[in-house]
Amino acid sequence: MARLAWARSHLRLRANVVLLLSLLALFAVLTGGSTLSSENLHNLTQQIAITAPVVLAQMIALLIGGMDLSVGAVLAMSGVLAVGLQPLGLWPAVIVAVLFGTLIGAVNGLLVTRAGVNAFIVTLGTMYLVTGALLTYTHQQPIAGTIPAFTEFGGGDILFVPTPVLIVLVISAVLHGFLVYTRTGRNLYAVGGNADAAFVTGIAVQNHKLLGFIIAGTLSGIAGVLLASSLNSGSVQVGANASLTSIAAAIIGGASMFGGRGGIGGALIGVIVLGVLANGMNAVGVSTYYQIGVTAVILIAVVVLDAVNSRVVSRPSLSNISRPSLRRRSNGVLVNRTP
Amino acid sequence: MPDSVTRALGDGDGEGSGRQWKVPFASLGRGRSRWIVVFIRNEMPLVLLVVLLLVGGLLSPVFLTPRNMLNILWAVSVLGIVALGQTMLLISANFDMSVGYVVGLVGVVIILTQTALGFGLVPSIAAGLLVAALFGLFNGGLVVLTGASPFLITLGSGTLAYSIALALTGSKTLYTPIASFTALGQGRLVDGLYYSTAVFLVLALALEYALRRTTYGRSLFVLGTNEVAGRLSGLLVARTKIMTFVLCSLFAGLAGLMVTSRDGSTVANVGVGYLFDSIIASVLGGTSLFGGFGGTLRTVVGVLVLGVLSNLLILMDVPAEAQAIVKGAVFLSVVWADGVLRSK
Repeated sequence: MARLAWARSHLRLRANVVLLLSLLALFAVLTGGSTLSSENLHNLTQQIAITAPVVLAQMIALLIGGMDLSVGAVLAMSGVLAVGLQPLGLWPAVIVAVLFGTLIGAVNGLLVTRAGVNAFIVTLGTMYLVTGALLTYTHQQPIAGTIPAFTEFGGGDILFVPTPVLIVLVISAVLHGFLVYTRTGRNLYAVGGNADAAFVTGIAVQNHKLLGFIIAGTLSGIAGVLLASSLNSGSVQVGANASLTSIAAAIIGGASMFGGRGGIGGALIGVIVLGVLANGMNAVGVSTYYQIGVTAVILIAVVVLDAVNSRVVSRPSLSNISRPSLRRRSNGVLVNRTP
Repeated sequence: MPDSVTRALGDGDGEGSGRQWKVPFASLGRGRSRWIVVFIRNEMPLVLLVVLLLVGGLLSPVFLTPRNMLNILWAVSVLGIVALGQTMLLISANFDMSVGYVVGLVGVVIILTQTALGFGLVPSIAAGLLVAALFGLFNGGLVVLTGASPFLITLGSGTLAYSIALALTGSKTLYTPIASFTALGQGRLVDGLYYSTAVFLVLALALEYALRRTTYGRSLFVLGTNEVAGRLSGLLVARTKIMTFVLCSLFAGLAGLMVTSRDGSTVANVGVGYLFDSIIASVLGGTSLFGGFGGTLRTVVGVLVLGVLSNLLILMDVPAEAQAIVKGAVFLSVVWADGVLRSK
């Protein structure tokens, strides 16, 4: 079973790589190669890198069997903090902004694990809290940055490579190593895949979930800093769609709503697919309205293929259907009794 | 919220509730006072609503007047209609993330058929509701056929609806050419009681009756509790599910009609706020996000809690920006208190 799941997720990853390469080829042909120019690739990778951390955050939240609807609000608030606190100095502002994400992640995690409230509801609530705080703090006006060096995080270059790309690569490498090669990281998969089994095995289920939410919150904070840095301003609007689009990107990248599936590589490919798609459609001249529609169709296609595929390959239909109710029992009774 | 309840009842040690993270109601609910916990646990939204009304009455002299009450009802009735459909789906352990954008798309279709195709009042409304029903059919059909997560399917279809609405309008505001169209949303049955309020309340009562007394309604609870058992005992699971998705989308369409005729105009993203608010209202009312429990009259209470809260905040001159904080805080503390009370 485990091997089957592994094989399937690798199949998904490979299918996504094929999808990505064919998209790149398609747009290169349609635009006569201008999407593959070094200038466009530079811009493309920079834009993708700026949106990547929030997808990584959502991936981790989905991985542990949760979900984080507050990522968009946290992203916006962290960006505003990173810009608004610049009178205190560059690094204090950036650090406070990232730690704000950590704080909200911890609040989410504590409410989910200690109060036993469903992750969807908790993060919906914190989304409203943070959005309210954001509106009160900014009065809906964008805040401009005052320290020029701040723009280096999101807009600068190191040896012709955009700085955010390097930052995201380092973060991804660390997270990938953590998830795959450490005991705690692998336990996160176990907790997300089957909380009952993980509990019986002796894993501190609640603490691992808490850790997952904290990582997700921190990554949203980092995403906010990168975005604010690339715009050199903190704005209220930036996070409006981030929660739902990050879920879409993570799902395209192989995550599951039921937890326990996905990984950093998948999340990166998901965000790259969406980034290449947007960039290519812009180059071809497709209007934003249809771009939104294309993203929606891809999401539905991936979800449908995934559902059909997993039903055919591994599970008889009855157990497939009974899964949500099994999960419910595990969330409500067994897991919440964990000391 | 837990504190205010403790104090209002004059029972339990209020000062301990902050420190004791796990059991804020430690001394409450043992022995003779048990019924209090049971009552609050089962009817918490109602208790909260009464508390809010009392607080409002104390704070502002105009708050408890019939006119203000009717205004609150009018203000929440559009959201309420969306939330009624959402509640039906939640009871059957399903979900609709597309309602917000379907509200917008239906408004766009109604006005666009009037301006571009020259449809009259009734045909344009029928076209709008038809589009809503088709989206419900699409959602329900895909969920039933593939067994995919309703959350993701409806997230995708909602985004699709948004994209269509944007492409149709070019993100401009559309105005209705038919003068009598606005009478639907602004018209009143009797003085102070708007059509939309009456529709909302009648639908809530009708659905509550359907949920308790008809085969269709009762099978929703079975689906939400144990779908396999429902299938094995002969329920038409697929049909019931698809019907409920269509119902939910139709209600979103009805809300789109209400909001468009109230304003006489529409934009593509007019319904965005209804998505999460409809879920919040259902959950505040006590409907379970995991299915198997809930009711549409509970959702009326949940919607009213939201409406009374925002009315109260406006009367108290709380800046509009801070209202989201209060909403989030109330929502979180209610679900938290609910979890605590349920564990007793």
